[in-house]
Amino acid sequence: MLLVVGPSGSGKSTLAKAVAGLLPEQFPGEWQGSLRVGDVDVARRAGSPDAAAPADAPPEPPITTTGLGAGIVLQEPASQLVMERVGDDVAFGLENLAWSRAAMRERVPEALAGVGLRGFDDRRSTWLSGGEQQRVALAGVLAPGPGLLVLDEPTAHLDPLGADAVFRVLRSIRERTAATIVLIEHRVALAWPLADLVLALDDDGRPIDFGAPRDVLGRSARKLARAGVWLPDDPALPAASAGKADAAGHASPTPGDLPGAEPVIDVADVRFAYTAASPVLRSVSLVVGPGERVALVGRNGSGKTTLLRLALGLLAPVAGRVRLVGHDPRRLPAAQLARLAGFVAQEPELGFLGQSVREEIELGLGQEQVAYAHELAERLRLPLAEFADRSPYRLSGGEQRRLSLVTGLARRPLLLALDEPTFGQDRRGHEALVEALGELVGEGSALLAATHDERFARDATDRRVELADGWVLADEPVPPGRSAA
Amino acid sequence: MTAATFLAPDLELSQRESALGRTNPLVKLGISLAWLLGLGFTLDVRPPLILAVVALVAGLELGRIPTGALARRLAPLVVAVIAIALTNLLFSTHNPDPAARELLRIGPLRVTQEAVEAAAGLGARVAAIVSVGAVFVLTTDPTRLVDALVQQAHVSPRFAYGFLAAYQAVPRLASDLASLRDARRLRGLRQLHPSLLVGLLVRAIRHADQLSIAMDARGFGPGLRTAYRPIAWTRLDLVVGVSALAIVVAALVASR
Repeated sequence: MLLVVGPSGSGKSTLAKAVAGLLPEQFPGEWQGSLRVGDVDVARRAGSPDAAAPADAPPEPPITTTGLGAGIVLQEPASQLVMERVGDDVAFGLENLAWSRAAMRERVPEALAGVGLRGFDDRRSTWLSGGEQQRVALAGVLAPGPGLLVLDEPTAHLDPLGADAVFRVLRSIRERTAATIVLIEHRVALAWPLADLVLALDDDGRPIDFGAPRDVLGRSARKLARAGVWLPDDPALPAASAGKADAAGHASPTPGDLPGAEPVIDVADVRFAYTAASPVLRSVSLVVGPGERVALVGRNGSGKTTLLRLALGLLAPVAGRVRLVGHDPRRLPAAQLARLAGFVAQEPELGFLGQSVREEIELGLGQEQVAYAHELAERLRLPLAEFADRSPYRLSGGEQRRLSLVTGLARRPLLLALDEPTFGQDRRGHEALVEALGELVGEGSALLAATHDERFARDATDRRVELADGWVLADEPVPPGRSAA
Repeated sequence: MTAATFLAPDLELSQRESALGRTNPLVKLGISLAWLLGLGFTLDVRPPLILAVVALVAGLELGRIPTGALARRLAPLVVAVIAIALTNLLFSTHNPDPAARELLRIGPLRVTQEAVEAAAGLGARVAAIVSVGAVFVLTTDPTRLVDALVQQAHVSPRFAYGFLAAYQAVPRLASDLASLRDARRLRGLRQLHPSLLVGLLVRAIRHADQLSIAMDARGFGPGLRTAYRPIAWTRLDLVVGVSALAIVVAALVASR
C-alpha cells in the first residue's frame, strides 16, 4: 500500500487519476515522463510527443480504469454514483465486467456489508448523507475486487466509526489479497500504520521523499511538517493551540455575561422530515450564544446538516421554532440574513456563483468587507495574485473548501455555520482556519460547526453537541487536550 | 413533493409491487402509444375521456398510486388542460364564421357550437395524454425502464443510460436551481437573477462530465455486459397488454 501525502493543491488527486488511467482520456493536459501501471505505460499511450510509435503499429485501445485492473474512488462521492438505487450502483461495475447474475446477487450485499451499509440495496442514493454516499462509492469500486485500488480521501466525509470501518476493509484487502492500494488520506493515525510506502509531495508537486514510512519520518519529518503535511503522533500543534488561547483571551464576553444578549441561535423542539416515514430530527432544542464555539457531531445521516440548514432558514421545520438572533430566518430579507449568518456548505461546488476566484470572493461584498475577504484569502493560502483568475471549479478539493470558507466568513457574520469545514485540509489550512475562527468568535460571533474532525473540534470549539436518531444525545464541554482521531 | 421528485418520483414499495408496477415498462410504453395513436382516429370527445378515466382508475387500483400523490401530480396539469381548452374556445376560427351556430355573445366575443365541440375535443385529448403519462410515470421505476430497454428492446446501453441521465437531469436541474438560490440568498443577493441561467448551465455541464467520468471509471464501455436485475416477459404483461388494446378498441367503437 502506497500512501500519498502532501499539502493541499500539491497534485495528489491528479496523480491518483493518472494512476487510475483517467488522465489521458478524461482530463486532457500535457505529459512528460512515463507512468507504468502493470505493463502499460499510461503516459506513453496518452500520446505524449516523445512517444514515437512506429507508423504501421496497430492503433492501441484507449486506456481505461478497468482495463488497467484498477478501481478509483474519487474525492466527491455524490458525483460518482451512477444509478438511482444503491444496489444497482454497486452492481454497475460488475455488470460492465459481465459478471453472472448469481455472482452479482451474492457480491453486492457482501460489498455493502463490508462498508457498513448492510440492507441499503434498495435505498435511493440521492437521499443518502454525504458519508453514506462515500461508502456506497467505495462498495461499488471494491465489489469487482480490483488489483489496483486508488482512493482519494475515502474517509473525508465519514464519521470516526465509518472511517474505522473503511480502514478495516483496507487492512483486510491488504492482508488477504495481492491488490495494490494507492491512498490519499489526511487521517494520519489510521493511514500511516497501514502504509508500506509513503510518497510525500511538496507545494509544487515535486517529491520530498519516498520510502518506507519509518524511513520517511526519520529522514524528512521536519520538511514534511514545514510543507504542512499531517504527521502521525503530532505533538500539540503550537500555532493551533496559540489560536485557541488567543480566542479564549479575546472572548471576554462569555455567553450569559452580556446583559440582554440575545442567543444567536435558538432552536426549540424542532422536528424535521424529508419523508413522513423517517424523520431526520425528532425533537431538537439548541441555544447558542454569542462567543460560543459549538461542535455538532454525530454519525453520518444523524441530521447535522439538516440542523444547520434549519438554523439558516434554508429548510422549514415540520414543527417547532427556529430563531436567528431573534428573527425567523425564513422571513429575513436576503441582505440581512447574509449579514447575520455565514454558511459553509458541505459541498463547496454547490455554493459557487462566480466564474473566477476573484468574482467568487467579492460577490455582493461592500468595500470594507472586500479588504477583509482578500486578507482571509491570503491567510487561507488562496492569494489573489495567484488565484484571482482561476475558475472555482478547477481548484483542488482542499482549495475549493478554503474558497468556500473565505466566502462564508468574509462578512464577519454573527453566526458561523460550517459543515465539515476541514475536509481536505493540510496542517497549515487547519491552523489558519482555527486562527481566523478564533478571532471572529473573539469579536462576538457564534460558531456552530458540523464536523467529524476531532482535531478540529478540540482546537476550535469548546462545546460538543451530539445528535443521534433525531435527538440531542449529549451537550457537554469539549475536554481540552484530548487526543485526536 | 418537491420539484426534484416530480419527474423521477420515489415510488413506494407498494407502487412498485402492484400489478401495474410489475407490468413490463415496455408494455406500458406500448399501451400509452397505442392509446394515443387510437385517439387519432376520432375527433369525438368521448373516447379520450373514457381512456383518461380508465387510466386514472387503473393507476389507483392496479397501480396502488396514493390518491394524494396522483392529485398533486395532476393538479398543475389540470390547470394546463383547462387553459388550453379555454384558449381554443375563445380564439377558435369557428367563432367569426357566420355559418356557425352562435351559443353566446359577450360584447365583441362570439362563442359558437362548433368552437365548443372543438375545444372540448382538444381538452379531452390533452387530459387523456396527461392522465396516461402520469400513471405511467407513477408506476414505472426509471431504472427498470432502462433495464427493459436494454434487455428486451435491445437498445444500446449507451443510449439507454443517456436516456436515464436525461430523465434524471430535470429533477437535478430543479435541485441545482434550489441550491443556487440558497447560495444567492446567503450572500445577500436577490434570488432571481439572469446569472442563475449561467449557473444552471455550468452545473448541468459539470454533472454530465462527472457522470461520464464515473461511468468510464467503472468500466462502462462497448464490451459485453450483464444485467443485475433481469427483466422477463410474464403472463401479467400479456393480460395487461391485451386488456388495454381491447379498451381502446371498445372506446373507439362506442363513439360511433
